[in-house]
Order: sequence, then structure tokens, then C-alpha cells
Amino acid sequence: MSLAQRVLLTWVFTLVFLIMLVLKLDGKVQWSWFLIFLPVWVFDGILILMLAIKMAGRCKPGYDPRNGSPDLRLRAWYLTAMLLKLGFCLTLCAKLERLADVKLTFVCIPLWTMLLGALVELGLNIFPERREA
Amino acid sequence: MLFSLRELVQWLGFATFELFLHLLALLVFSMLVALRMDLFNGLSWWLVFVPLFAADGLSTYFTTIVSIRLYQENEKRLAVLRLLWVLTVLSLKLVCEVLLCQKLAEQDRARDLWFGLIASALNISHPWGNTAVAASCCGEVWRCF
Repeated sequence: MSLAQRVLLTWVFTLVFLIMLVLKLDGKVQWSWFLIFLPVWVFDGILILMLAIKMAGRCKPGYDPRNGSPDLRLRAWYLTAMLLKLGFCLTLCAKLERLADVKLTFVCIPLWTMLLGALVELGLNIFPERREA
Repeated sequence: MLFSLRELVQWLGFATFELFLHLLALLVFSMLVALRMDLFNGLSWWLVFVPLFAADGLSTYFTTIVSIRLYQENEKRLAVLRLLWVLTVLSLKLVCEVLLCQKLAEQDRARDLWFGLIASALNISHPWGNTAVAASCCGEVWRCF
């Protein structure tokens, strides 16, 4: 997929989610929170499937692990981040639907783990450049 | 994942450090929201939103500095375009944050303030962010014919 197609895909899913969220928050629809989050489930499902297929391709017999190892580690982190995001959204929906009586702090733990990981990854991308300069 | 860091920088128009800053602000903001909901119910929503406002302010400052440097190095067109783009996105983000904060802080007085209106700032910034992408898509389709 080209960059334009990927951006368009992300934009469409975000827009549909925003519209559904606004309709629910303004009380125009009485749908379940799990249904409101449907664009998020579909988008995350597509991403996880794509990542799993790419990772499975690297695990084929005959593939040189010395070349693929760092890339596989990065993909494993991406997969973990996606699962953490999915966990956060699921527990948030359960809390909003009052299926589970959990504190928001516990709901947010997967989100904070994911954000901390993303910050570390971004920081590693920023600071080597600074040292070279 | 779906985008590399370079593609993300190209799409959003923010530098890597600015992305780091906004992500850090989001982390602190989510922690404050959790604290506000679970422990300190009396904490003002304006205080909870401070990390997001601070990130917007710092991002504006960095963009201005970078644009001035670009202008001094005779990259005038790039400097103006970058400044205009980032300021537009940041101002729409700020409008959305201020309206959301007002809605949460003054729930009785802000009943006419719909969530649709609050999110419209984001909805406006999205198509703008994709104008270049849509143009390139149209270009590709045009080439096919």
C-alpha cells in the first residue's frame, strides 16, 4: 500500500469513529459502547493481521535470523503495543457499559505502558542524531 | 507499524521532537484524568488540561524558532509554509481542547455546547491534513486514464 492509501485508510476509520463517538456523547443514538468502538476494532484487527503475517513470513525455515532479528524485535514490540491498545479500549468499553467496576487508573495501565514504550522508541530515534551532530 | 517515523513526520508536518513532546503531554494528561476521576474529584479540569496546553505552547515556540532559522537560511517558502501549516493544526487542536475543557468544567452552563461542535475542529483539520494525499491519489487515478 502506498503512503496515500494508508493515510486515507487511517483518516476514514478515524472520521467514522469520531462521528459515532459524537453521536453517542450527544445522546442522539443509544448504541452500546462496543458498537461505537467498531471502527477501532476493525482498524486494529487489520493492523494485527498484517503484523502477524509479516512476522510469520520472517519465521519461515531457511530465513537468516541474523538479518531479520532486529526487525522481528521491532515488529514484536508493535504487536505488543497494538495488543495493549486493544486491552485499554476493551476495558474502557466494559467500564463505560458498567460490565465491570474497575477504577480508571487500572483501565489506563495498558495505555500508559504503550505510551511509555512509544516515548522510549521516539527518544532513541531523537538522541543518536543529536550525538552525531 | 502502519507508518514509519519518517512517513509520520512527512504526513503530520511536525518534527520528531515535537511528536515526543505531544506524546509526553498525552501521557501526563491521561494520568491526571485518572487521578481526577479516582482520587481528587475537586481537581479543576483546567488544571488537568495544562499538559496539553503546555505542549501546544512549546510546539508553537519551536516551530517559530525553526521557521526563523529557515528564513535566515534563505528557505523562505519552506519557512512560511511550515509555519502556516503547524500553526493551523495547533490552533485547531487548541480550540478543540479549550471547548472540551469548558464543557467538562461548566457542565450546567455549557449545555448548548455539543460534542459535535467540539469535535468539528478535529474534523476540519483532518481533511486539510489529507489534502496533499488526496491530490496525489487523484494524480495517480488521472495517470491510469
